[in-house]
Amino acid sequence: MKSITLAAGAALLAGAAFVLFVPTWEHTPRGTEMSFPQGIQFEPARTWLASNKAPAPLPPAEAGGPMATEAYKNVQVLTDVSAAEFMRTQYAITQWVSPREGCGFCHEGENWASDAKPAKAAARIMMKMTRHLNADWKEHVQPSGVTCYSCHRGQPVPAETWFPQAPMPQRRYVAKRDNWQEAADTVRKFFPDNGWDEWYVGDEPIHVQSDTALPTHRIGAFVVAKRVYEMMMQYSDGIGVNCGYCHNSRAFWDWDESTPQRWTGYNALRLVRDLNNNFLLDVAAAIPQTRQLVRETNLPVIPAQQRGVQQGNGLVVCATCHQGVPQPLNGANMVRDYPALTPAAATAAAR
Amino acid sequence: MARYHTLFTSFELQGPDELGIPLPRGSSPRRLRPFRSSWLGRIGENQVGPTYLGALGLASIVCGFIAIEIIGLNMWASVDWNVVRFIKMLPFLALEPPSAKQGLSLFPPLEDGGWWLMAGFFLTASILLWWVRMYRRARALGMGTHVCWAFASAIWLYLVLGFIRPILMGSWSEAVPFGVIEHLNWTATFSVRYGNIFYNPFHMLSIVFLYGSTMLFTMHGGTILALTKFGGERETHEITDPGTAMERGSLFWRWTMGFNANFDSVHRWLFTFATLTTLTGGIGILMTGTVVDNWYLWGVKHGIAPQYARIQPIPDSLPPGIMPRLPQLDVRQPELAR
Repeated sequence: MKSITLAAGAALLAGAAFVLFVPTWEHTPRGTEMSFPQGIQFEPARTWLASNKAPAPLPPAEAGGPMATEAYKNVQVLTDVSAAEFMRTQYAITQWVSPREGCGFCHEGENWASDAKPAKAAARIMMKMTRHLNADWKEHVQPSGVTCYSCHRGQPVPAETWFPQAPMPQRRYVAKRDNWQEAADTVRKFFPDNGWDEWYVGDEPIHVQSDTALPTHRIGAFVVAKRVYEMMMQYSDGIGVNCGYCHNSRAFWDWDESTPQRWTGYNALRLVRDLNNNFLLDVAAAIPQTRQLVRETNLPVIPAQQRGVQQGNGLVVCATCHQGVPQPLNGANMVRDYPALTPAAATAAAR
Repeated sequence: MARYHTLFTSFELQGPDELGIPLPRGSSPRRLRPFRSSWLGRIGENQVGPTYLGALGLASIVCGFIAIEIIGLNMWASVDWNVVRFIKMLPFLALEPPSAKQGLSLFPPLEDGGWWLMAGFFLTASILLWWVRMYRRARALGMGTHVCWAFASAIWLYLVLGFIRPILMGSWSEAVPFGVIEHLNWTATFSVRYGNIFYNPFHMLSIVFLYGSTMLFTMHGGTILALTKFGGERETHEITDPGTAMERGSLFWRWTMGFNANFDSVHRWLFTFATLTTLTGGIGILMTGTVVDNWYLWGVKHGIAPQYARIQPIPDSLPPGIMPRLPQLDVRQPELAR
């Protein structure tokens, strides 16, 4: 009996030694193919208003003819295209942005050159922005490019615009609470946007995790980690992926373990900052009060709970263009058919 | 034939009320005249009461009530005393600890964590008073104090999270907020902030003991229920006077896995596993941020986690504002250390 016990013990030890020492226990090699599961892509939520389908392009314009600046008065942005291409682009923009409201959304009656309507000033800023995106943000928007339709999807105000909420009022004896998005229809959209402007408008460094095993006291307050978490939830929700699409969740900060998508995503953050600071805040100034426009027929009313602190137009975030999918319009290349949206010289439209 | 059919007990004893042993001199009297409920008798004992409140119990309940009131009223105030929004938002409302700039101040402003500190004080007082009460009741009955020490293990984790670790970190802001979703958010953020807490060996141990506890509990409960018809529920009797119930149970486990606990040792296993869950968990939390800042990198340093080389198109040198790549890869993985 005793020898059986000894034999069993020896066999157990031998087995354990085999498992420990015989296999080489090499870490899975990594190439461009991820060795860990890719982020699970969510089905786009039902609440995304727009469909992710690109409309058919308009028939191409006739070649040649006069330039737009010669044929029309007061042309300020599309100065490098022919008159025919100019008109074709104008028709397309109407289809993309204000199909119900028509040309009158921006233009004053038949006086096409008039700058009376504030929406026209906004449209010029938006045109510059689109050309800037296609020329200078190739790292993020290529190969599909960006058109008005990427965000607008047939609506004058894109459905997924970020209207920063007013912080909760500070009372005398009671802490203000996080401004949870009470109007949200899904839990993922419920997260507060208190900290978004630190990164979607400002350029605070994102230092959440230490790059050393032991404390060096270089990482900021705990609340920063919480705000970054909430900001990243917008990424996740907006492009319809999980954390693992870009990160290796065991070491979020580590670029060495991230997928190539993280580089695209990082450039997106810089892009969003650029757009919000250099274009969208200008649009908010050009159309100071969205509610003032509501007097006109057919114009969209932004629900009260969505209106932001700046009382104007919203800012862009990932969801504005992506609408719940990793590639907006599932990667359809619309800009190929509209040369006016890509300036000939790389930085011609850059401000 | 299986004897276990439902959650409900199959035996219900009737008879004169059990009033308990005489109390020591100077004790406050037991309260609540006993009554019997056959509904409660379906899941437990059918006699309800008497109960012993005492000064400690009363103080504990009062402190607990004050803590819950502070938390609840702060939450209600944060939705402008609107009842509908309070109910709708309740899972998301929170009473947050002081912000980082308050440090370890004992008297931060009320609107910046003062209420949190008060709620924490009263909740802690309530829990500790309840612990002393449990200890004294066990002593009064001449019992061992095992339950108190198991409870103390849970209190240890609670104190580490909200008191000991914040003090070591030098800021109350490191503590957990009161609130349903908010404390869950805190947990998730805590793991991310400290480089993935799953690489914390004490967290690993805590998980082992937690899952081990549930497994041992169901193995034990299942064995005893399965032995009911042989008198298996008379466990303690069978420890020193083994009958067919214990013999069959032991044989069952020997046949299925070659080794078995006995009717005594299984309870020691259970108690040890359950108590160590929060004990090791508390140690893990205590080490996080105080002596280890990034558990994943700690794992890399000690050879329990791998590290990989960067792949394109992520550039080798990243723009300013991005964390630098790690300076040195682990020497144990030379093939990856390009």
